[in-house]
Amino acid sequence: MILTSKKPQEEVLASLQDSGTIFVIGCASCAARSKTGDQKAVDDMKELLLSKGKQVAGTLVLPAACNLQTVEKYLAKNEDFAKADAVLILACGTGVQTVGDIFPQKTIAAGLNSICISTSGSQNKRFCSVCGHCVLSFTQGLCQKTRCPKGLVNGPCGGFVGGKCEVDDKQDCVWVLIYEKLKKHGKADEFIKSFISPL
Amino acid sequence: MKFKDKLKDSKFLITAELYPPKGTDTSAFLRRAASLKSAGAVDAVNVTDNQRASMRAGALAMCSILLKNGIEPILQLTSRDRNRIALQTELLSANILGVENVLIISGDHPRFGEYPNVKMVYDLDTVQLIKTTQILESGYDLAGKKLNGIPKFCVGAAINPSADPQELQIAMFRKKVLAGAEFFQTQIIFDILKFKGFFNRIKMKGIKVIAGVPLLTSPKFMGFLQSLPGVEIPKETQNRINSAADPLAEGIEICAQTIKELRKFADGVHIIAIGKEEYIPTILKKSLEA
Ligand code: SF4
Ligand code: SF4
Repeated sequence: MILTSKKPQEEVLASLQDSGTIFVIGCASCAARSKTGDQKAVDDMKELLLSKGKQVAGTLVLPAACNLQTVEKYLAKNEDFAKADAVLILACGTGVQTVGDIFPQKTIAAGLNSICISTSGSQNKRFCSVCGHCVLSFTQGLCQKTRCPKGLVNGPCGGFVGGKCEVDDKQDCVWVLIYEKLKKHGKADEFIKSFISPL
Repeated sequence: MKFKDKLKDSKFLITAELYPPKGTDTSAFLRRAASLKSAGAVDAVNVTDNQRASMRAGALAMCSILLKNGIEPILQLTSRDRNRIALQTELLSANILGVENVLIISGDHPRFGEYPNVKMVYDLDTVQLIKTTQILESGYDLAGKKLNGIPKFCVGAAINPSADPQELQIAMFRKKVLAGAEFFQTQIIFDILKFKGFFNRIKMKGIKVIAGVPLLTSPKFMGFLQSLPGVEIPKETQNRINSAADPLAEGIEICAQTIKELRKFADGVHIIAIGKEEYIPTILKKSLEA
């Protein structure tokens, strides 16, 4: 799933400053699992907008905001949606762009920040940042590009203490985890002798 | 004798480090450099590359100034702020200006600097950047294009004896050697016995390991160092600085005694005096006294 976080309220309100009537969209897939785009998040957002004197034409939680057919099917015939000038979308960046692509006449506002790809079972575990050059076979399935704050691909910096990361001591240094796993699989020597080339 | 040649010698090496000015006024930098030159005993001087991820003048400009003043520089280069095009450019520029020594490090994370949300680059990591110097030395760049005029480097890397688990840091030491590192400078150490154990574990023929030793100047500075991950200052040292009437004088004593001990087994010392370089000649003299 795509991990998202809520944008600060001021930022959301600023992006809707000049908008007349607003329609709020949530997403029942990833954003609902992050609790950033579920029914409650949408209701809370509606409350906030109303309390700031905004007009809300309606709300809807889509089954999946990133699915072209779904978005079209649910929104094309929605009368409240038709009335709105602006759409505030509580979904990942793909969800926002899907809605924006199909309805180019609407002003678009994004309510969430997309962080990375995570697993559904564990909140907040960053797994993949979709880099386009997957290196997981070098690391026995732990993504250093995402889980090391410096994204070092060939091994750690000198900052790990007690297995924790120098940037955030509540977080494991992913390289310590990788090294343990490589050792377990008899690959520690290979780790020392080979590296991902700069070429 | 050049620093690179000294690495092959049995000499106990002495390096120090200077940071570039924040702004264009180089007078303080020059004053500190002059005090290191008068010592005559410093083999080379590192110039830091936007340390603590905060903005300063460029390390290469300051290295070039050091060269003109008769001091052999070591250019610190991090891959945090530049992509592979800019890094190769910096390496070639260094050589054109006569700078051959480079210390390749990952650099401090911006979270602790002046620009916590800056976009980090890390297009290459430390190991890859070390390898890049070798590739350039072979007459080609990373795109496989032939170079017109081939650079020569003396490449150093960093190692932290306090990293834990230590075994992984030692693995990185070996990995960096395989990628092309010719010498190492360590993060600051306080405990000689602990360092000796580490030093003996990593010992490798032809690879010098220069121990980083700070000059403790005040209880406040000591407190700052202690707040850094992995820094453990022995109780005895803490007491000496905290109870000293003149903490700087005591810091000079401690630094000299540490160097004296290091002279017995280590390959060299890297003195980190952060603005107090004028005391390095005194420290070195004291470290040679019986
Ligand atoms: S290396 Fe990491 S960020 Fe890149 S594709 Fe693989 S898991 Fe994703
Ligand atoms: S301590 Fe580990 S996870 Fe943290 S920046 Fe260094 S290598 Fe990356």
